Amino acid sequence: MGEAKSAIDSFLEHKAQTGMQCGNYSIDIPEPKPGEQYRFHFDMTACVGCHCCEVACNEQNNNPADIKWRRVGEMETGSFPDTLQLFNSMSCNHCIDPACLNGCPTNSYIKLDNGIVFHVDEDCIGCQYCTWNCPYEVPVFHKDRGIVTKCHMCVDKLEAKQTPACVQACPAGAISIEVVDKDEWIANGIKKEGVAPHLPDVEITKPTTRYTLPKIGEGEIRPADEHILKPAHPEFPLVFMTVLTQMSVGGFTALFFGELLHLLGLDLPAPNLWMVLAVLAPAAVGLPLSALHLGRPALAMTAIKNLKTSWLSREAAALGAYAGGVAVLALLYLFGAPPWLKLLTEIPIVLLGIYGIYAQSMIYRVPARPAWNRRSTTLRFMGAGYLGFLLVAFVLSLGSEARSVLALLAPTLMLGLYQMHLIYEEMVFYRYLEKEHPLYYQLSRTKRLLEERFGKLKKVRLYTLGVFAIGMPMLAIIFAAANMGAAAAFFLFAALAGATASELVGRYLFYRTVVPLGLAGNFFAGNQRH
Amino acid sequence: MIEKIKEFLGLDIKEDKYALVDDPFFGKVAKERAPEKWVRSTCGYCGVGCGLYIGVKEGDPVYVKGDPDHPVNRGTLCPKGLSEHEMVRAPTRLPGAMIRRDDGFEQVEWDEAFRKVSESFKRIQREHGKRSVAVISTGQLLTEEFYTLGKFVQLGLETNNYDGNTTLCMASAVMGYKQSFGSDGPPGCYEDFSHAEVIMLIGANIADNHPILKLHIARNRQVRGKKPTIIVVDPRHSKTANMADIYLPIKPRTDLALINGLCYIIWEQGWMDEKFINERTSGYREFIKGIQKYPPQEVAHITGIDVKTLYEVARLYAGADAAMSAWTMGVNQSAMGTDTVSAIVNLALMTGNLGKPGGAPMSITGQCNAMGTRESGFTSSIPGYRNFASEEDRSEYAQIVGVPQELVPTARGYAYPQIIEAIERGEIKALWVVATNPLVSFPDQPRLRRALEKLDLLVVQDSFMSDTAKEADVLFGAATWSEKTGTYTNSERRCNLAKKSVPNYKDSKSDFEIVVEFSKYFDGKYELLFNGWSGPEDAFEEWKRVSKGRLCDYSGMTYEKIEKLGGIQWPCNDEHPEGTPRLYYEGMKTPNEDGKPKFVFSDWQPMQEDICASFPLILNTGRTVEQFHTRTKTGTIKILEDLAPEAWVELSPKDAEKLKVRSGDRIALSSPRGRVDEVMVKVTEAVREGSVFVPFHFNTQLVNTLTQSLFDPKSFEPNYKQTAIQLHSEEVPEGVVLEEEKISGALGYAKESEERRSVESLKRSI
Repeated sequence: MGEAKSAIDSFLEHKAQTGMQCGNYSIDIPEPKPGEQYRFHFDMTACVGCHCCEVACNEQNNNPADIKWRRVGEMETGSFPDTLQLFNSMSCNHCIDPACLNGCPTNSYIKLDNGIVFHVDEDCIGCQYCTWNCPYEVPVFHKDRGIVTKCHMCVDKLEAKQTPACVQACPAGAISIEVVDKDEWIANGIKKEGVAPHLPDVEITKPTTRYTLPKIGEGEIRPADEHILKPAHPEFPLVFMTVLTQMSVGGFTALFFGELLHLLGLDLPAPNLWMVLAVLAPAAVGLPLSALHLGRPALAMTAIKNLKTSWLSREAAALGAYAGGVAVLALLYLFGAPPWLKLLTEIPIVLLGIYGIYAQSMIYRVPARPAWNRRSTTLRFMGAGYLGFLLVAFVLSLGSEARSVLALLAPTLMLGLYQMHLIYEEMVFYRYLEKEHPLYYQLSRTKRLLEERFGKLKKVRLYTLGVFAIGMPMLAIIFAAANMGAAAAFFLFAALAGATASELVGRYLFYRTVVPLGLAGNFFAGNQRH
Repeated sequence: MIEKIKEFLGLDIKEDKYALVDDPFFGKVAKERAPEKWVRSTCGYCGVGCGLYIGVKEGDPVYVKGDPDHPVNRGTLCPKGLSEHEMVRAPTRLPGAMIRRDDGFEQVEWDEAFRKVSESFKRIQREHGKRSVAVISTGQLLTEEFYTLGKFVQLGLETNNYDGNTTLCMASAVMGYKQSFGSDGPPGCYEDFSHAEVIMLIGANIADNHPILKLHIARNRQVRGKKPTIIVVDPRHSKTANMADIYLPIKPRTDLALINGLCYIIWEQGWMDEKFINERTSGYREFIKGIQKYPPQEVAHITGIDVKTLYEVARLYAGADAAMSAWTMGVNQSAMGTDTVSAIVNLALMTGNLGKPGGAPMSITGQCNAMGTRESGFTSSIPGYRNFASEEDRSEYAQIVGVPQELVPTARGYAYPQIIEAIERGEIKALWVVATNPLVSFPDQPRLRRALEKLDLLVVQDSFMSDTAKEADVLFGAATWSEKTGTYTNSERRCNLAKKSVPNYKDSKSDFEIVVEFSKYFDGKYELLFNGWSGPEDAFEEWKRVSKGRLCDYSGMTYEKIEKLGGIQWPCNDEHPEGTPRLYYEGMKTPNEDGKPKFVFSDWQPMQEDICASFPLILNTGRTVEQFHTRTKTGTIKILEDLAPEAWVELSPKDAEKLKVRSGDRIALSSPRGRVDEVMVKVTEAVREGSVFVPFHFNTQLVNTLTQSLFDPKSFEPNYKQTAIQLHSEEVPEGVVLEEEKISGALGYAKESEERRSVESLKRSI
């Protein structure tokens, strides 16, 4: 053994005589039988908050200091001298119903036979959707690698009967590996032993970690990082992608109804190639833009692999097909196809588009992100289609089609007002948010972000919406009705540009002000997620 | 360019960099830094003394793994130990010898630096006397290096103004042991944590400072079949207090009164171990006279612990088959530190908890080799716990090492704080600082800084560019842990081997080499002191001879044997070839004249610098698990720095309200000595109203600017833990207003009568 002269040749067989799993490099644990799986046991009464497990994990996996698979959260309850500090060392809970796996568009997660939720690095495209889905913020994006990484319970080691790094390192014997009967756990154990302070509802993913808790008195439990309130990632490519695709689908819907009404014999102008190209443009720009938020843009196309459970796959597939459909439609227009053929082509496209935006909104309807997980998200995404109405109206106004502009602006105004209503609804929701709300901690922090950190921007969003989505279209209506085409076109252009900007600001706020569920953090390092 | 595009597109996920490979000894390790070899060694941070293996790749340390065969840590390591390899090649290392020029430090040949310093030392000593050169060392070197350095300073430089930073941490334990047992030497061992029925942690935040000891407490259940009762005594609800079955939130600096009070109750109730007291101790009767001043009501008043709890703790402690008390800085860093240590020993003696598994008074050391310097370092005693004042001891030492007896000093020189005072007076002109960083760690920083400016010459020998190194005239860039071989002795007297596993950083030299080489610049000193020495093993052989027959007997040890056994606890000799787990077991004499441990009564004193209207809050300082001392090492490790990148001030919610601050805000702290700005507030129930806590590690928020020049008169250890201060927030710049104790009298009466009732009922129930 190099220079060392130990009595022992290898420590893999050697027993460290701790009487616990800790200290030992090898582990004696039976392999899970069918219906069973491996899990962590964490003894909160033993943990002293020394962070050995965190450092040992990074040492084992060669992770840089800012990629933490295991983190130790700190909380405090009681009042001096009956104070109780609580430490929660957590890596992955290897859930029975893992949200990371369900949401992954590329099927990069596998629940192994032994229950370990394993991330297949090669297939990951770095979309980070799992980091939104996991209510424990377990998966962590590794920028250097362009992919998400996470705890795999040192599966390679376990299979070789070696102790996972965190378990080996804990001087208090607070972390150990056990085998659990899954049905039994869900039926009886999870509600009693699967819960710990400041952790999300176990119903979300059915985590398997078993907790031994100290006696915790009544009263508030304060996370050590309560004072750290960082806005979430702005996700600029997604800000643009979502708004632009919504604009496109909205515009296409307008176009479709135009086509339909025209075919039904109403005296309305038929859509033309320019209109098709106009509604195609935002999608053509927005969709590829979304690849920019991926860690591995080259593999963007593989995002449609998991139509079965991933809303992201569904969105990508539907909107991809939608955009392709619009492009085909443009060709039909170019070659002067008969109207019935165009309409027949448009029916599936419009359905795909609407479903795509619905799927898009469902991406955000995840329990792990309470501020997003509201019906208003879907309504907001759908409603933003009014931008497309404005777009089509603007193109129409250039062709001096004042009447049809009027027809279009009526629903535009309605949807604009509806966006206004949604802002109002949000304000009311946060104003009357009660401490008893099970997600009060996260939602009240979103509220603080909205009101304090982004208070000004929030006002900008509100006023610009009023001016550009309501005021300007109304002016355009007046000028259109007065047959002043140029003025109408001007105000429609201003409305379109301004309202788009307003929606982009709104979407930016949407991303930045979300506060995810997750474990309590540290006084300085926070929750150790970017 | 192509690489960049590839990286952007995400074609390379660097699988290889994050892959694992099989290591034959430890199993899966990271492929990128899979070691070529593992070198068995010992951790160089704290006094726990964990065994570990250093993984070496291409001449650099790349891994540290806990040694599962080592009795101290059994495979585990704290976060500092786990990442220790990262500091070895840090950019803040000193590359070798350096001399200050007008435009900063210039690296020079060692010869030039040695010549400059030796000439200056000689000139200064010629002009101002031998003792005008002083040395302040550390607890961080190897025993071989301590012995070599001490021998050179005392017999080579011929100055006894030599002390270590151990005076800032363990001196009170040393003096307390001397008072009680006649010699330094912690009687207990870590195994006791696994055998004790009752464990009392006094001023010891082991969760932050010695987390590996938790392993021994966790094993208690396996060993005894049930959990021990843990009592934590600390004015602050530290992480360790969470372990407590009984938490005693004593008022600051009332520990001595508490222990005296517990002894009183044990005496009053007849719970003491009379057989043990009669047969194995002395001084009991005088002691009992002394503690009459500490009846429970009085102690409750002083400590803030109610009478019922005092009885309960005394009953548990005295009633246990085996009970131990472990302490660290909360006790030592006190103006009454020495006496408090003796009081803890008194409690052990009274209850018969000495020299048996689970029964001991036990000091937990802060540095990896504070013990080594205490035994061999030649600072507060002649090596081998010999007394300067004893003619016999002096001649014995001179004889063993073959030096003229006149050369051996007859008295201890100045202790650390006295050296600083002597610099202030202009009595000491040159200072050689070895592996310590006073400009963060010493109390009353403004005064220290002024004093250092008066020096003609400041030489700093360190591995890192510390705050003190930055002020030096000459730097001796030293090798650090993993670059040198020798022994560390831990808190439980276990001598461990630390081995060189990688080449020295650049042109740095081991402290051993530096001292031996340097001695050649002083006429005849090398020949007299180190003739024929080629490596640390030569120093170890001499140290074995010097310690033979002493309490700290190393004569039965060899490097091979130490390594084989996972360290050896002294005394190790023919009688105890594999070492001695516990001192003063039945039949083992103490170095006291009558061979018995002695009861030493001491009175508790109120705080000298108590709170007042201008400074109405009490500041307590301490540590956090992520950092070590002044961060010269841990400050270079990102994973640790991220968790604790700067100091913070713990404030109770009530004080926070008075100052209108919240967690995350920044405030200033002031004391009569100075002011520290921009310290981040942490509002917490870990501290009581009126008390605040700040970790001392950080040069960025230097809390020792505030602490006072108040020292234990026997150990010279600073009283770091209580400083009257004021806080200044942006909204309340004038700070906290001291409230009149309007109704305290009435409340006090009500409380006292309630306590009396509870005592009566308790007495009846017993």
